[in-house]
Amino acid sequence: MARNIQLDLETVENREMRLGSIISWDGSASELVELSRYEERALRHKGCPGAGKNGEGCRLCELNMPFNQQSMCANSIAACQAGNLRDCVLIQHSPVGCTARNPEFNLAFRNGLERRGIKPRNINIMTTNLLENDMVFGASEKLKKAAREAYERYNPKAIFFSMSCSTAIIGEDLSSIAAEMEDELGIPVAPMHCEGFRSKHWSTGFDIAQHAVLRHIVNKHPKKQPDLINIVALWGTDYFTEMLKPLGLRVNYIMDIASFDELAQTSEAACTSAFCHTLGSYFATALEQEYGVPQIRAPQPYGFAGTDAWLRAIAKQVGKETEAEAFIASEHERVKPKIDALRAKLKGVSGFVLTGSSYAHGLISVLRDLGITVDGSVVFHHDPVYDGGYEEQNTLKTLVEEYGDIPHFTVSKTQPFQLPALLKRVKADFIIIRHNGLAPNAARMGIPSFAIGDEHFPVGYDGMIRVGEAVIEVLARKKMNQVLQRHVSLPYSDWWLSQKDPFILAKHPEVLDEAEEVQD
Amino acid sequence: MEKKKHTTITHPHYACSIGAAYTVSAIPGAVPVINCGPGCVDQQYFTMSFCNGFQGSIGAGGGDIPGTNSGENEIVFGGAKKLDGVIRSALKIMKGDLFVVLSGCSPQLVGDDVDSVVKKYREQGYPIVHAEVPGFKGNNLWGHEEVVISIIDQFVGEQKGRRRKKLVNLWMGAPYFNTFWRGDYIEMKRILEGAGFEVNVFFGSESAGVSEWKNIPKAAFNLVVSPWLNLRVAEHLERKYGQPYLHIPILPVGEEATTAFLRQVVEFAGIDNAKAERFIEKEAARYYYFFDHFADFFAEYWFGFPSQFAIVGDAAYNIALSKFLADQIGLIPVGQIISDNTPVKHRDAVAALYAELSEGVSGNMEFIEDGYLIEKKLSEYDFGSGTPLILGSSWEQDVADEIGALLVEVGTIATEEVVLNRTYVGYTGALQFLEKIYSAAVSG
Repeated sequence: MARNIQLDLETVENREMRLGSIISWDGSASELVELSRYEERALRHKGCPGAGKNGEGCRLCELNMPFNQQSMCANSIAACQAGNLRDCVLIQHSPVGCTARNPEFNLAFRNGLERRGIKPRNINIMTTNLLENDMVFGASEKLKKAAREAYERYNPKAIFFSMSCSTAIIGEDLSSIAAEMEDELGIPVAPMHCEGFRSKHWSTGFDIAQHAVLRHIVNKHPKKQPDLINIVALWGTDYFTEMLKPLGLRVNYIMDIASFDELAQTSEAACTSAFCHTLGSYFATALEQEYGVPQIRAPQPYGFAGTDAWLRAIAKQVGKETEAEAFIASEHERVKPKIDALRAKLKGVSGFVLTGSSYAHGLISVLRDLGITVDGSVVFHHDPVYDGGYEEQNTLKTLVEEYGDIPHFTVSKTQPFQLPALLKRVKADFIIIRHNGLAPNAARMGIPSFAIGDEHFPVGYDGMIRVGEAVIEVLARKKMNQVLQRHVSLPYSDWWLSQKDPFILAKHPEVLDEAEEVQD
Repeated sequence: MEKKKHTTITHPHYACSIGAAYTVSAIPGAVPVINCGPGCVDQQYFTMSFCNGFQGSIGAGGGDIPGTNSGENEIVFGGAKKLDGVIRSALKIMKGDLFVVLSGCSPQLVGDDVDSVVKKYREQGYPIVHAEVPGFKGNNLWGHEEVVISIIDQFVGEQKGRRRKKLVNLWMGAPYFNTFWRGDYIEMKRILEGAGFEVNVFFGSESAGVSEWKNIPKAAFNLVVSPWLNLRVAEHLERKYGQPYLHIPILPVGEEATTAFLRQVVEFAGIDNAKAERFIEKEAARYYYFFDHFADFFAEYWFGFPSQFAIVGDAAYNIALSKFLADQIGLIPVGQIISDNTPVKHRDAVAALYAELSEGVSGNMEFIEDGYLIEKKLSEYDFGSGTPLILGSSWEQDVADEIGALLVEVGTIATEEVVLNRTYVGYTGALQFLEKIYSAAVSG
């Protein structure tokens, strides 16, 4: 059953508290399924996540590493959500550096607009550009001024504020300023408490942005649109429309690329689903709880089994079971010869998946449906349960049950220094990856990468074909990687590169003393 | 009454001071260690490198940069302990001859005593330096100077031995921030060596790494080739080692400027000019071999190309490219916008460089950091009836579309360019610059 979402609170609880999410773990996928105790956690509404009947096992055990490398934070995730809307403006209440990833989101936004058939243009994100004096004297006036400026310049339908580490530390009252500006400007002004230090994983940033939309933008008095389905997405190509047309549904993508009205009407939809539960579960569960918009009780639409189950669950929701069965049967027939041909070409190939949590579960199904061996994967965090909490959404369990175990299943927040050890213990002819920082080192180790920028690429029946064809092209690039491997090296010490266990520092911190002896 | 200073920024053309991690990363064998929140340096990577000509990284750059990823615990209870663990493991895990800890906003605001953590390792003999560079104190250019000065003070040490008459310390653009820095350093080193010097370049493919930094005091003088960046470094070195400096504010582009540049440096150094003159003669001959060919296209192309241009970017590329186009090619300079937050004390001197871009041609320069105002300004310029040329960044794509301009990306942010070994400075760079502009003109 679904968990309790508290929209009356100004901000959402961090994932590690709400869901028991972890960022550092190593074992097999089946072990992680067991340790996650999804069903048990799903029953808990309050208090310690996942606490058993007697309160035992509050937390999923994590490996505590003394060494870290940098990756994303909740602040940049919130920016990539609230800053990528067509007619709203995000103001980052921060020094200028907290906006430095925006050029990449701009690329994603421009590409996303093009994918959805809209003329590309740049994102408009403002920063209050805080300086030393602001840290001493406070910066509330600058934020108000920025809000007025945003209103004059862009005539937005809503304004978002985002918190940074520095503005949180100096105690800027984002919520009060937002309320004041909302009154003054007459449009919704939504604060996001997304300072980078608050959560150990960036994905809390998705929940924070969604929380802001749910509280400030979603239509509180919905008029039902029975043919509308919300798909929580990023910037992906519109593959969902053709899959859902046979069920008589129109797709409402949220949040990147969306307009204010598209966000507002989410409460009017017939149901909600997502390309990835990690991303979509909070939004979907909140809509279900507050507005009775049901979420789809199914794994994600990847591979034959996942796509079948997903379509059936939606069909059941909208009363189109017959149409769904006909569509599923004809689609299987249509794609099967192509997939058989790809399976023949991909025989003996091994892949390695590194992406955000439940998306990886979907990608592994696609690769295995294509006959590709997947013996290892890195997920950038693990949610032992999703906000939805429905058994049918337990994507890791479904993966293990449908496709068998993954012997080396690792939870690690984009730590490139672990990659050499991770890739040594499995065969990997290619990696499939989202997020930056890891693929370049795989490349230097001779392994080509499929950087999956369009997150909808593997969705549905055609997704398997798209992925299979892309993998063939990626495998050819190995030539370039072999050149690299012959001539360049990694920036790690020989001692570290000789380690077999990527988590040795957590398990045996004393090895650092050995290293000292070796180097001295 | 003076209008209150405009403060917000849309579409920034620079990173924050943590972006100076890439100043460290550009030194072969050096490793930045980031002491602040979990996303800080990752964000800067996109402005400094990935979305700036897709430069990528080598050594300890990109995802490989160690960091504390400071969380709530470090904010509430202090971050010294976590930093200590990260430094201790970084010294073992990373290959490195020099480690530079960069402290950002949060340790500064909560008052961590970072120096004492770093000092402990330095006293044990590790080559480690600390630079305090919170993002609210300045942008990546300010951070660049802070990092360079920290390395000088905490790693290079005192002067030993005699100065070498022909050895020069070259201080020019900020690595990674200046989109073509790798090619620029290669060309500048090449021409200075051609003229008879030995050159410490400190960054990039031509640097010997940290040993070059140790040799800083041995150089005869510091050569600052930028409108304002690194002047603080040269002044610091003058105070520290009594080492003189020569400031040439404009990066030379094209044969005439480059030849004049070399003659000025040779004269300042007081070395024999015979080698330099032989080199200049050879370089000039090659340059005009190509420039002469280019004349056919420039004189005879029927289908038109831009005659009037505006430029947006950091002060260094802004003045260098403006001067070349106005003085050597005869393009009409409509407006020049410097977007790098040039420190106030240097603004008059920088502005003076635009007084005469060429004989009878003056500039129209303004300092603007906010992309919204930059775009507005560009849309208001009068470019006549031809196709305007905008030399700028990806942020100017929309306004370029709007006014029907040809956009050539010459600085941060550049997501329509893949830049490897390219430069627009010196003898070689000027020709590449012409190739770039006119290829864009004939294909656009």
